[in-house]
Amino acid sequence: MNIPTPASLLHRRKGRLTEELVLHPGRFGLGQVPARLNPDSTTTMVCGFCSTGCGLQIHLRNGSAINLSPDPLYPVNLGMACPKGWEALAPLDAPDRATVPMLRDRNTGVRTPVSWEAAAQHFCTEFRRTQMTHGPESAAFLSTGQIVTEEMALLGALFKFGMGFVHCDSNTRQCMATSATAYKESFGFDAPPFTYADFEESDVLIFVGANPCIAHPIMWQRVLRNPRNPEIVVVDPRATETAMAAGQHFAILPRSDLLFFYGIAHLLFSNQWIDAGFLSRHTEEAEAFRAFVADYTPDRVAAGTGIPVERLERLARLIGSGKRVSFWWTMGVNQGHESTRTAQALINLALMTGNIGKPGTGANSITGQCNAMGSRLFGNVTSLLGGHDFRSASDRAKVADILNMDPERIPVQSSRAYDQILDDIEAGKIRALWVVATNSVHSWINHGRLRKTLGKLDFLVVQDLYHSTETAGIADLLLPAAGWGEKEGTFINSERRIGVVRKVRHAPGQALADFQIFRLLAETWGCGALFKKWSTPEAVFQILKKLSQGQPCDFSGIRDFQHLDAEGGIQWPYPENSPLPPARERRLFEEGRFFLPGGRARFYFEAPRPNPEPTDSEYPFVLLTGRGSSAQWHTLTRTSKSACLQNLAPKELWVEIHPSDARRLGIEAHSQVCVRSRRGSLRAGALLTTTVQPGQIFLPMHFPEVNQLTFPAFDPYSRQPSYKSCAVAITAA
Amino acid sequence: MSDTTLIEELLREQQTLSAVERFSRFHDRLDSRAKLYSHLLPAEPPSPDQQYAFSVELDLCTGCKACVTACHSLNGLDSTEAWRDTGLLTVSTPGEPFQQTVTSACHHCLDPACLNGCPVQAYEKHPVTGAVQHLDDQCIGCQYCVLKCPYDVPKYSESRGIVRKCDLCSQRLTVGEAPACVQACPAGAISITLVDRTPTLTDPTAQMLPGAFPSAYTQPTTRYLSQRPLPPDAQPATSGALPLEPPHFPLVGMLALTQLAVGSSLVFALLFPLLPLSAAKALSAVTATALQLGLISSVFHLGKPWGAWRFFLGLRTSWMSREILAFGIYSLLTLLTTASLWIPADGGILPFLGGLPTGALHALAFCTAAFGLLSVGTSAMIYIDTRRPAWPVALTFIRFLGSVLILGPLAVATLLSLLPAPGEPGFRIWIHTVSLFAAALQAVVCWVENREHTRAFHTPSSARHSTALLVKKFHPGAMKVRTFTAFACAFLTLTAPALPISLLPLLLFPAFLLTLCHQLFERMLFFTTAHRPRMPGIP
Repeated sequence: MNIPTPASLLHRRKGRLTEELVLHPGRFGLGQVPARLNPDSTTTMVCGFCSTGCGLQIHLRNGSAINLSPDPLYPVNLGMACPKGWEALAPLDAPDRATVPMLRDRNTGVRTPVSWEAAAQHFCTEFRRTQMTHGPESAAFLSTGQIVTEEMALLGALFKFGMGFVHCDSNTRQCMATSATAYKESFGFDAPPFTYADFEESDVLIFVGANPCIAHPIMWQRVLRNPRNPEIVVVDPRATETAMAAGQHFAILPRSDLLFFYGIAHLLFSNQWIDAGFLSRHTEEAEAFRAFVADYTPDRVAAGTGIPVERLERLARLIGSGKRVSFWWTMGVNQGHESTRTAQALINLALMTGNIGKPGTGANSITGQCNAMGSRLFGNVTSLLGGHDFRSASDRAKVADILNMDPERIPVQSSRAYDQILDDIEAGKIRALWVVATNSVHSWINHGRLRKTLGKLDFLVVQDLYHSTETAGIADLLLPAAGWGEKEGTFINSERRIGVVRKVRHAPGQALADFQIFRLLAETWGCGALFKKWSTPEAVFQILKKLSQGQPCDFSGIRDFQHLDAEGGIQWPYPENSPLPPARERRLFEEGRFFLPGGRARFYFEAPRPNPEPTDSEYPFVLLTGRGSSAQWHTLTRTSKSACLQNLAPKELWVEIHPSDARRLGIEAHSQVCVRSRRGSLRAGALLTTTVQPGQIFLPMHFPEVNQLTFPAFDPYSRQPSYKSCAVAITAA
Repeated sequence: MSDTTLIEELLREQQTLSAVERFSRFHDRLDSRAKLYSHLLPAEPPSPDQQYAFSVELDLCTGCKACVTACHSLNGLDSTEAWRDTGLLTVSTPGEPFQQTVTSACHHCLDPACLNGCPVQAYEKHPVTGAVQHLDDQCIGCQYCVLKCPYDVPKYSESRGIVRKCDLCSQRLTVGEAPACVQACPAGAISITLVDRTPTLTDPTAQMLPGAFPSAYTQPTTRYLSQRPLPPDAQPATSGALPLEPPHFPLVGMLALTQLAVGSSLVFALLFPLLPLSAAKALSAVTATALQLGLISSVFHLGKPWGAWRFFLGLRTSWMSREILAFGIYSLLTLLTTASLWIPADGGILPFLGGLPTGALHALAFCTAAFGLLSVGTSAMIYIDTRRPAWPVALTFIRFLGSVLILGPLAVATLLSLLPAPGEPGFRIWIHTVSLFAAALQAVVCWVENREHTRAFHTPSSARHSTALLVKKFHPGAMKVRTFTAFACAFLTLTAPALPISLLPLLLFPAFLLTLCHQLFERMLFFTTAHRPRMPGIP
């Protein structure tokens, strides 16, 4: 035992409390780490929040994750992560994890734990009964962009080919349907053309309805690495963090985006600031588009967007300058009532100026969820597995052949969209619904109506990590799922990079990976034989490789998960016999060949339609909704489980309002206000800020009450809901 | 395969983690990480007259907040704990669109208020890095540093009973690694620079950022840089959002009871020649008891009270140390006074105390009262020295001395009225004099407090405006309660002379009780509405 010296008695420099914070050299390139968190090995896997697809170095002890840090070698994030990535393990430890299947007693309304066997039996009995009584279109699932591709494929194949149902959709309808539709029409395949290096190689970056500073901070990091001193332009009604950091901000009037970009196209054509050679060699319908935008004169566009003619001209000149111009958009574009044409207006600008297929260019949709891209290719929802077409007999035959099953099992039509499924429930046509890893009762537009709609179902199954989500709360059968970090598989990120996730944590209780739940249900349904080869996610990956063969997304050259791991993810396309190792960053269309017949891209355009819910004297404000902070994700199902993340954003709902409006309405800073729309009302604290324009207010989407207000308008092509604009009134509470 | 075995198989598979040897990477990749931040560290370590400091490029900080989570994660902090935080500057009057995230950790001041205030020297400047370091095992959890820091940096850990704070990742810096937040910023907005250890910030109005406490106080070393000047009307987004501060109930009890004791010591000393021995014994005992209760109450405020014996280490700079010393002496003197009155002349165990001459006892009583007043002075200085706008010199002394001169006399008067009727015929007059004095003073203090509140409430530029807003928001009836108490106390004490002496306690005891409760309420307000200065926009 140490005998204390007088000095150590007076000043206790050592001891139990001090020791807690003493750092020790961590191996594996981690630098100093606290003893409590010193790992015995590490591994890399892809983050499970957003589509950036950051590589995270997981710190393991006895194979189980104890901490993580961003992977310095992963080509996406180069050693950085946003707060959600840093806190990705915390949501797994939440006390409200679902740990056992729960079934509601029809008579008492009380949910009690049941065995997996009973749960699976009950599921199959109910769905089969519905199918027998009401036909194959009487049940549906709503899934997610948050589970691994192998699970998505198994779910879609099981539900349609195994169980014989027709309708299903995913929450990617709420975020990426527009981009997928726009790309399919314009390019012939749902193919975001960019690679993240384009952020670094661009001369002009135009962000439309995108706020990467907080929504995709790692992509913004890539922008900051750009050595070309780029001009950054933001088109957004709000002065977002990104707008503040940009050189030019165009605060257009809400929902005037389509008009705005047609106005720019008009100026490009009329000033000959176009790449005529590219237009003639690689596109179709350019002349029709030129004729169409002739009407979109600067004066008309200035009046409709609130942007003066000089600024429109300056922007057009910049875009047509021959520099490397890239266009980037996310939800501000995708969540509109004419969003597909808006996304295509941006695609058109890139095509007109030849800004595609070259470094630092592109019409680039930044994706939302970690595996929205996987869902788009393998969800088996709108397109048949691997980006095939349900309507094409040869596609059906090809898929059936690879899956070694009867082509008759494949429906000849694609599914009804999310909103149409809900309409069908309301009309009594769909009687059973299976919700997988999404929280519709919080996130769906105008969800006051949704709650009533779901009440009409005979049977609602929710499969989720938590028993506490708004949707899980009303389920008849709750299936406890394992989460990211508790299962294996792959995600596809925004730049088409396929990355691996690993099982580095034990799932709580009897929670099972979605993959295992699907296998169990296949077996119980009696179609297990059909999925004999779908034994593990890695086995399914091999099937998916085959399905991708010959498609624009062909990744049959990827060997296996270890290959993905070794290369830091691999972007599609990567067909067999591709060069080894794959180039770290690859973009599409470098030869100017698109996926439409004839290899040409096509111009799509259509006259703007009026805002479906304009403001009036009763509801004089435009309500904008969106991301509240980098620490919040969607319905807060996971991010609210980390106290550290919770501290990074206000815990109470706040509404941003311009100080002049607040003054006029007698609303003081941080006082309570009431926001009303025709569909609902809520209370929030007022944040007075000049970042919103007079006449507009902003609410973060993460609070359940917000989507009581939103107006259910949908883009007619993508069926994506228009979350970004509705009419509201605001008063001091 | 039957279903049951499939389920068992699935559950078993679920609990099998990915095989480590298939994918984990064993090679050391420190170089690849160091490459990310090497340009954010100075090339040379600090010279003896230099230290490390944070430097923040505001133009690069766009609100991702990764720095906070990295600090939390890489330092192995508690689930709610991070030593860096982010705030927001906005323009909330009609003007140009503006927002600016402000990332902020400890500023590792050249003249740290936390260090100066610590009674046990649980803070020191790191000899090499200059970081203001906290010695966790030395800390007694008095949280005075929390009150002292004008940037709200040290945070109390309830579970450990100590404060913890940012140490500039000195353990990393000394081996050439960047602090966690510097490593984690995707924009490279936070870097480490070298600054001189000589304080240079003398302009009393200069501040790091709008809304930050004037830098001349503690000489913070963090530099906030921007190519674009901040708009003149930029202000913290939290302006107007008023959270209540912690009530510190043990301190509320301590202040009220020790001030009661000092007041009664004072009255005791003044009335001593008139008091019969029985009254003197009772009074001295009650005084000593109140004081001990007050001091015991204060112990409940400490997270680690058994380390408090080191209080003398901070005597040179800490009013907390001085308060502990002053109250220690005062407490000893009250015990001495009581003992000398209660110990019979013929000795017992402490014969030298018994039978002191009256003159000596009187002198002891005065001495005790004097030390009591001195102790209350150190109490006041503890709060004044935090420079919180809610606790200015005059008002704090008025409040604390007011308590002494209201509670003490009322307590004495009530006690005397409860004792068997004293023999002296003129004695009753003193009971009334003392209680009326207390009631009158209470009216004066009430008037001062209410006038002060009204003035601060209606003057947005006032330093105490936010305190007034907090009172209005959370205790809208505070002014009325105060006025009512003053009136009720005045009524009871003014009515008392008309009553027979046996009925006096019926009026004086309620007056005392009401006043004591009110003083406790006032002290709670004192803490809960003392809006703490913090970095702009940090909740």
